[in-house]
Amino acid sequence: MALRIRAALRNLLHKRRVEARLDAEVRSYTDLLTDEKIAAGISPDEARRTALAESGGLEQIKQAVRDRRAGAAFEVFSQDFHYGLRQLRRSPGFAALAILTLAIGIGANTAIFSFVNAVLLRPLPYPNADRLTILLSGLGYSNRAPFSSFELYQLRQRTTQFDQLAGIWVTNGPLPGEGDAEQVKVADTTSNFLPLLCTRPALGRFFTPQDDTPDAPNTLILSHAAWVRRFGSDPAIVGKFVPFGRQKAQIIGVLPEKFRLVFPDDASVPPNVEVFSSVPVGPWDPQGPAFLHVIGRLRSGSTIASAQAEADSAARQINALGGRASLSNFRLYVFSLQADDVREVRRTLLFLFGGVALVLLIGCANIANLLMARARQRLHETTIRAALGASRSRLVRQLLTESLLLGAFGAIAALALGYAAIRAILAARPPSFVNFDNVTLDWRVLAFTFAVAIGTSMLFGLAPVVATRRLDLTRNLKDSGRQSGWRRRHWSSALVSAEVALAFVLLLATGLLTRTFVNILRLDPGFHPENIFTFRINAPGYAPLHQLQQQLAALPGVQSVAAISHLPLDDAGNWYDYYWKEGAPPELQNTVMADHRSILPGFFSTIGATLLQGRDFTESDDAAHQHVVVIDDVLARQLWPNGDAIGSKLNISDSPHGPYQFQRDWAVVIGVVRHVQYHSLTAIVRPQIYVPYQLAPRPSMSFVIHTAGAIPNLADSVRKQVTNVNRQMPITHLEPLSLLVDRAHAESRFASLLATLLSAIALLLASIGIYGVLSYSVAQRTMEIGIRMAIGAHRAHVMKMILADGFAWVLPGVLGGVLLSLLVTPLLERLLFGVKPGNPENYALILAVVLLVSALAAFLPARRAMKIDPLTALRYE
Amino acid sequence: MDQNQTNLLQGTLDLLILKAIGAGELHGLGISRRIEQITHGTFRVKPGSLFPALHRMEEAGWLSSDWGESENNRRAKFYRLTKAGHRQLGTETRQWAKVALAMADALKAT
Repeated sequence: MALRIRAALRNLLHKRRVEARLDAEVRSYTDLLTDEKIAAGISPDEARRTALAESGGLEQIKQAVRDRRAGAAFEVFSQDFHYGLRQLRRSPGFAALAILTLAIGIGANTAIFSFVNAVLLRPLPYPNADRLTILLSGLGYSNRAPFSSFELYQLRQRTTQFDQLAGIWVTNGPLPGEGDAEQVKVADTTSNFLPLLCTRPALGRFFTPQDDTPDAPNTLILSHAAWVRRFGSDPAIVGKFVPFGRQKAQIIGVLPEKFRLVFPDDASVPPNVEVFSSVPVGPWDPQGPAFLHVIGRLRSGSTIASAQAEADSAARQINALGGRASLSNFRLYVFSLQADDVREVRRTLLFLFGGVALVLLIGCANIANLLMARARQRLHETTIRAALGASRSRLVRQLLTESLLLGAFGAIAALALGYAAIRAILAARPPSFVNFDNVTLDWRVLAFTFAVAIGTSMLFGLAPVVATRRLDLTRNLKDSGRQSGWRRRHWSSALVSAEVALAFVLLLATGLLTRTFVNILRLDPGFHPENIFTFRINAPGYAPLHQLQQQLAALPGVQSVAAISHLPLDDAGNWYDYYWKEGAPPELQNTVMADHRSILPGFFSTIGATLLQGRDFTESDDAAHQHVVVIDDVLARQLWPNGDAIGSKLNISDSPHGPYQFQRDWAVVIGVVRHVQYHSLTAIVRPQIYVPYQLAPRPSMSFVIHTAGAIPNLADSVRKQVTNVNRQMPITHLEPLSLLVDRAHAESRFASLLATLLSAIALLLASIGIYGVLSYSVAQRTMEIGIRMAIGAHRAHVMKMILADGFAWVLPGVLGGVLLSLLVTPLLERLLFGVKPGNPENYALILAVVLLVSALAAFLPARRAMKIDPLTALRYE
Repeated sequence: MDQNQTNLLQGTLDLLILKAIGAGELHGLGISRRIEQITHGTFRVKPGSLFPALHRMEEAGWLSSDWGESENNRRAKFYRLTKAGHRQLGTETRQWAKVALAMADALKAT
């Protein structure tokens, strides 16, 4: 072995000397052979000729030695490498086009893969992330409902598969500390919640059960961002008592900078919670509100399936306890937290992944065609090389090295392009796409990129190998490179057909997604967001709110003003519970869950919601009078299918004695309003009930101001009015309501935008393919066309012939695309809204687009063919 | 060229070269001629096979070479066996004898 390595080094390092000796040795052999023949009586010239003939050529002998000696593989590679570089440099146009195509194709794959990697493949940024689960309860119509404190307590008592079960509820609240009051997301968590998701706090400690004892001080843990922003990164913050709303609270800890909550989009647990407080869990109130979103860590060795089986039995036991779950259909669902987090984004990502794969395949087909054309042009050179002793395998290796070289350059360009694409996608991402923060080019993405580059290089690298499959030395040399192309062009035509088919499928999918986007844009969200300005404030009580409402309404240009606890399509901490009508038997109580909204009178007319029946609230709908409620038509249909909701009594939870002092109460339905899309534009998540603020005061309210048009300095006027009423009512989130609607469109806009981009690239590549192959064919057939014209073919006829040629590949491609789409588009169904995968209009439109673009791509070479001058063409050869 | 030249079995070329040089140092053409002679013309080794084999065997350490004068005063590269080469000749000869015996037996057995 050592000898071989030494020999290899000598061969590589002292190449010139080794070569000279080899040459001398082979020459001495033929000289000796010639001498031998002369000695046998043959004339010197003849002797030399036969000696050379018998040896089989000096170059061939030397090449045979070179191929076998140590280090030959490396030397061959380095030769091929340099040869490949030379070839690429010699045709910079081709190289640039191929590398650009690859950069786009691979770059798109790199970008999308980096998202797939970060979102679907990498574990959540939590300790033991693979054992984290999310638990959801089902009761009546609700399937993804939260838990009451009672239910979580009972669940903990009855399960062994989890080593921790923890809950969180997020709402709006004040930012602790001195300075301007500010509304932020505040989470109530069970004391074991944060340790489940975070190894240790950056400062201080986590909550302990002691924080939940009645005489313990009010304690808070801050997010890193809140600590930096509000407390100037005060290192001595831990232990200090600071103002928190109208109370004081002790800061006991600060979370690490990287910590963030990654919850499913519909769990109403946003990532930007700034303040955490602790909430006790106990069996006190079997009828208590369901508000806790529960996560659990599986005991090591437990599985989701075993946990689900145990949860099923726990659900039956909890049913038997009475409480809200007294009926038999209380259910429990256990999902992996990661899988549940990504269940929405997964479809979009996988679709995009499929899309970029198609684009890359189309790009590959183009490069394959270019390489094939080049291989045919270089056939003469290849033949000479074969005649000079290059073996078939050597020639193939040579072609593949050239392809790999293209792939390598493509991959490098792709990384740059991919990185730019990642930045662009991150900027355009919909807010609902959780877990996009840790998208980076890590080693997995790099490995993926280079694997794809090598794979594609091999794929298109096969093309020239196929093109030079049969080397007929004599004929090729005699033909001096001229081609009798038809048979060989089958491969190119098949590739073009495949490109058209793939582009067709991608375009079809894009058409469907764009229609989905348009359908969502056209949706009626149940309100009119135009000319509505909103802001959020700490609500100090009814009187100042009412005063502010009147003062704002008096501003010039303002048409009406009202306030609500949760704006439509806002990610604010949600508020919902179970409701039942008077006389409902126990098994029908707790089966309908509805969003609970606290409003000031005039809300419906201000946002343009339609009051279908009955009346709006008035100022006198307070605790002293009969308790009243307005419901939406969804709840009305569920509880009063006969339409007799008005005047009926509904069991609600309200808090007339102050925020959080909940009680069950009977209220009379006085109005039915059209459903407002609070959560998403496309799905009715829950029905709604509206309660007057006086019956259900909230710590935070959002004002809605309907103006006659754009009002200059509205924000300043609003601030002035608010300060007039109460200096302690800071305002945040000054923004138009239409912004929230835009955000809700983001997901579908994102999917349709990226799909449009991808299919535009696909269509462009496919038309370049058609154009390229057809142009090549026209160039090859110049003489034939010249002859045809010389014997009387019309120009129009020639043009028709070339166009027909082009369509002879496009039409099978379209047919293949239709068949492929029948397989593929049903997978898109879950991404679509208001349009079926088989939508005939969409098919017709895409068909027209593909045919039109193909015709354009074919027209240019056809026109060139038409302009061929027969005389020049015939002289050409 | 001899149309009916028996194809060299895989591995036999090395053994023939080792055997040819075993008697003393030879240059390329000499080895070729010596093989022809000792196999009574059955094997004619062409330079396209001979030289790659010589270089490979030299790199393996079985042969060493020196430039010298041929019998008719031409410069030529002469090959001789090294110690390892002698050992290799012994090993390969024994192996070949075994294979040849086995083949002969096998063919008789029908």
